[in-house]
Amino acid sequence: MTLHIVSKSPFSCQALHDCLQSLVEGDALLLIEDGVYALQHQALQSLQETRIYCLTADSEARGLQTSSAPDSVEIIDDTRWVQLCTEHNPIVSWFR
Amino acid sequence: MSNRTLALCRAAPYGSALAREGIEAVLASAAMEQDIDLLFLGDGIFQLLDNQAPEAIGQKSLRRNLKALPMFGVEELYVCQSSLEERGILPEQIQIPGAEVTLVEKPGELIAAYQCVLSF
Amino acid sequence: MPRYAGHFTICTPMKFSLAIYSAPHASQSAASALRFAKALLAGGHEIYRIFFYCDGVQNSNMIAAPPQDEADLISEWQALQQKHNLDLVVCIAAAQRRGVLSQREAHRLEKPVANLAEGFDLAGLGQLTDAVANSERLITFGG
Repeated sequence: MTLHIVSKSPFSCQALHDCLQSLVEGDALLLIEDGVYALQHQALQSLQETRIYCLTADSEARGLQTSSAPDSVEIIDDTRWVQLCTEHNPIVSWFR
Repeated sequence: MSNRTLALCRAAPYGSALAREGIEAVLASAAMEQDIDLLFLGDGIFQLLDNQAPEAIGQKSLRRNLKALPMFGVEELYVCQSSLEERGILPEQIQIPGAEVTLVEKPGELIAAYQCVLSF
Repeated sequence: MPRYAGHFTICTPMKFSLAIYSAPHASQSAASALRFAKALLAGGHEIYRIFFYCDGVQNSNMIAAPPQDEADLISEWQALQQKHNLDLVVCIAAAQRRGVLSQREAHRLEKPVANLAEGFDLAGLGQLTDAVANSERLITFGG
């Protein structure tokens, strides 16, 4: 199963859009850097079947309220990030 | 050890260096006889467009590099069908001599078949 | 397969490589890569290689002089390299284009400055291919 890492805001960049086009069932989505702004984007609401993770350091740095994020989103630390990378293959970065 | 590798090409040519440096990495890999396939998705499909004439903006043709791919054994190019449709590009506008362009309806299923994905 | 140590589940160590395309200070990406590399090593995993490509070659530019109260990624990479004997490889073609040269390259190209930081090596793109072939996981840090 693929781990998709999105690092750009969906409000200004195609990264999340292109990533969502390439999601298959069982894939996981990790939001890092400006990708965490996806927590504010309606596109996430439609992803009922996808496990979504958000890097806490990046959401906290940006002052984002993760409490209002969809229930399907798990807030994770760097250790869990590493673990996700061991659990999934391939790992696809969406950075533009 | 060998890992089946996919180069995911999402950058348009010329506006940034990423498209060119991505293709250079692919050519280097193919020259070392590593299995590498390409998937053009999003603005990456613009790399394949025919009639590119970048001389007036002081750049070398990227399409020329793409045309070298079959010589290095890369003969199959995957292209995301919906990216093509979104941009109003027809399949006949993105042909590379010596390579077969395969339109992909579900890029995620293609990606899942690889051990390694290099994003460019 | 997970191994069990007491009540903790420990992942089997894996061999990772990272490809970094972004300059420090221009975006967050290189700093994220550094954080991830530290987390990998803390988790007992192996880093086979870190390959600096595109604007990422600036991570090895030793004449960068950030203000003292800002992160200094070049020094941090060097410290990590020393501590863990990391293979930090900078793409030679990308580095030449952007003005990062070893002593040897500066001499060969007749340039007045050699600025490749200690702990980094210049090499060809084949080293990225090699990293792909010899790693269980490869992660790209771009943008």
